[in-house]
Amino acid sequence: MFKLSHKKIIATSAVAAAVAFAGCLGSNPDASSSSEGSTKYVASHTYDFNGKKVIDGGVYYPVVDGKRGPYYVNEQASRIAYNKGREALPVEIKAWDVDVMYNGPFPKGHGTVGEGEEIYEEKCVACHGDFGSGAANIGIYPALSKGNAYELHETLKNQRLNPDDDGPIRVFGSYWPYPSTAWWYIKTGMPHPHPKSLTNNEVYALVAYMLSINELKVDGEVVEDEDFELNQDNFGKIEMPNVNGFIPNLNGPNGTDNIRKLLNTPHEYGAKTLADGRCMHDCLKEVKVQHITIEQKNFLPPLSEVRDLPKEENGGGAEAKAKATYEASCAMCHDSGAADAPIIGNKAQWAKYIKEGMDTVYKKGIEGVGAMPPKGGTTLSDAEFKSVVDYIVGKSK
Amino acid sequence: MDIKETQNAPVSSENEVELSSRREFFKKSAALSVTAIAGTSLAATNALAEEKGDPNIVEEVPWGTKLGDPVTKNRYGMPSPYEHNVTRRNAQLLASGNWQASIAMCPIQDLYGILTPNGLFFNRDHGGVAHIDPNRYRLMIHGLVEKPIVLTLDQLKKYPSVSRVHFIECPANGGPEWRGPQFNSIQFAKGMMSCAEWTGVYIKDILKDLGLSPKAKWMLAEGSDNSEMGRTVPIDKVLDDAMLVYGQNGEALRPEQGYPVRLLLPGWEGNLCVKWLKRLEFGEEPFYAKEETAKYTALKPSGKAIQHFYPLEVNSIITSPCPEKPWTDLEDGEWVEIEGLAWSGQGTIEGVDISLDGGVNWQKASLKGLVLPKAWTRFSFMHKFKKGQKLLLSSRAYDDAGRIQPTVKEERSVMGVESVYHRNAVATWEVTAEGKVNNVQVIS
Repeated sequence: MFKLSHKKIIATSAVAAAVAFAGCLGSNPDASSSSEGSTKYVASHTYDFNGKKVIDGGVYYPVVDGKRGPYYVNEQASRIAYNKGREALPVEIKAWDVDVMYNGPFPKGHGTVGEGEEIYEEKCVACHGDFGSGAANIGIYPALSKGNAYELHETLKNQRLNPDDDGPIRVFGSYWPYPSTAWWYIKTGMPHPHPKSLTNNEVYALVAYMLSINELKVDGEVVEDEDFELNQDNFGKIEMPNVNGFIPNLNGPNGTDNIRKLLNTPHEYGAKTLADGRCMHDCLKEVKVQHITIEQKNFLPPLSEVRDLPKEENGGGAEAKAKATYEASCAMCHDSGAADAPIIGNKAQWAKYIKEGMDTVYKKGIEGVGAMPPKGGTTLSDAEFKSVVDYIVGKSK
Repeated sequence: MDIKETQNAPVSSENEVELSSRREFFKKSAALSVTAIAGTSLAATNALAEEKGDPNIVEEVPWGTKLGDPVTKNRYGMPSPYEHNVTRRNAQLLASGNWQASIAMCPIQDLYGILTPNGLFFNRDHGGVAHIDPNRYRLMIHGLVEKPIVLTLDQLKKYPSVSRVHFIECPANGGPEWRGPQFNSIQFAKGMMSCAEWTGVYIKDILKDLGLSPKAKWMLAEGSDNSEMGRTVPIDKVLDDAMLVYGQNGEALRPEQGYPVRLLLPGWEGNLCVKWLKRLEFGEEPFYAKEETAKYTALKPSGKAIQHFYPLEVNSIITSPCPEKPWTDLEDGEWVEIEGLAWSGQGTIEGVDISLDGGVNWQKASLKGLVLPKAWTRFSFMHKFKKGQKLLLSSRAYDDAGRIQPTVKEERSVMGVESVYHRNAVATWEVTAEGKVNNVQVIS
């Protein structure tokens, strides 16, 4: 169906050989991989444009006879110069090019551990917990520290093979290779409900605080003094324990070739090739089955394969709608008390809010309060939001 | 478990004749209609007899005896309300604190063919779905190029367009199950993926106008959403099949997929296909964005983690039966299709094998429909159902890159159980004597 030229068959010989000689431990597979259901397109393990192996270890489909794999292409289209758009202005590039490279230069600014702690207590603690330990109640917002980074780094070899085993601890201090990533991410992505609201100095202060709670060293000294100042000059001297913990090494002129080498070595990442065998018979001596032990089934909405009319259409009413909104947008925190949210149904917790009057409760919710963003991060109208508040309060008094 | 007795019976024309006999056929269609009208017309069900016939046939139905909706009613069409249970679903276990930094799983058990409807496409965000005004959309391309540019959406669409069918998969698909099965559901065990026809522009077609420096080795792709999601892409992929896409199954990208423009790196981790794309910067060194070190790195037992783990390796899953679609309604001796999806981010599916005994013996399944590179591919295998027979159903795909799925044991032996990402070991469903289907793992 898709004819291969002789030349291209040679180009794809690695694949062909793997299929043709796929011996296996038990017996041979049927020899039908190229006949019935033939799906072969012209594919190469080597790029035309640089003569190197395909970077992800897979195949590449060159344009042959007006087709790329199964797709016809207009080859003229890729030869024309289009020159759309306009030149980017330096002021525009400056506005958007705010990434921080691992090897600097680092943004201008400075901040101390003490300043960072103040900002942290005001803007971060509700989600990330005391001293960056993660949200107290459910622990699913990322923790920023679990203790001394250099000691925790040793846990990265841990494997939870048994239920009581300790796992590897992957937090900023123990796992991240470069602090530049944290600076960049805090500047552009944090605080979660109000990103891009922190100044350079505030970001330096927060990173300094993160260094202190992870007991990280800068230029040989552990950061513990609240007067310690982090700035563009000493940022490059932060000593991250896991800086060499990632493979392959991507830095420097051989970076892309290093990843090419790794991804073309399937056994390095648990992948298997047809040359390893495609066993068809008597492949296992015994069949050992692992069943579900702790079943996860808190699904939203619950699984159902029923084909019927939805309940709303049968007159579920406003309360059903408010309940659905609550479950989709509010339950994450108000079911569990995450981020200090008052728990639905907890009359004692809600009493103090209800006492302030419903107008105040609505207003706080609409404008955002504590870790909760305005309207809980929803796009509801004021009226819709109030009906959800009514639903929660109705369950909590 | 009588795993030795699970060999598939050869196709017998006698069986087929028997099954398609008039009597059998009537019995089956009657049973079906009972299901269809259950709850609305119980009396009719009880009264169902051969001489009376199926009331859905011999009596008039409501939708045939009145006017339907005018063509003006739904300017944008919606699924039948009866399909309201076919939705994306969430689990708190898979959220990073709230429903903004979270994932919605695709109901792959309910999909047909290889294209995912846009409203059901799985959705992973790092700071919520951004809503971008297309008139204010700008894309900047800068860094190691002679001419840095800014494009509007209309200008981007003036480049010649390319349409391609590709899956997008989160590399954490199946990741919660490295230590064993947790979800008795295909939607949660394997629903972090979908497949669509994408329309957009090859980045290489834009770059050739800009004077890309030979020093450029990496491209940063950055989104304009809450999290400014960013990833570093090697130049090889940019010059191969990387696209800037604005079309999804024939219409504009959905907001959940990055409206108006996302990056598409066919076959590579979904998070690399940056949504709400605002900036491409070319550089000599990798950028180390948050989501390429803090997350999306695969920790090995040595304590070293693989970073920049781009391609989704060859993989497959049986979609019917599955925990959501059990075989509890089958009759003894009935022929049933075992159907599933296979995919590879490293090439095109070459074939899929099926095992009924947990991987002791394998038989070749048929591929069916379109078989496209880096796209979902359907496979099919006919099975004669034997009432009470326990089975361990597995599928194993292989691709034209010469890769085949490893067993759970083989994959764990290299990657351990803490790597989170890129789990592509053979998956297994246990079919119980009652025809129920459970998620299990064969670990020998």
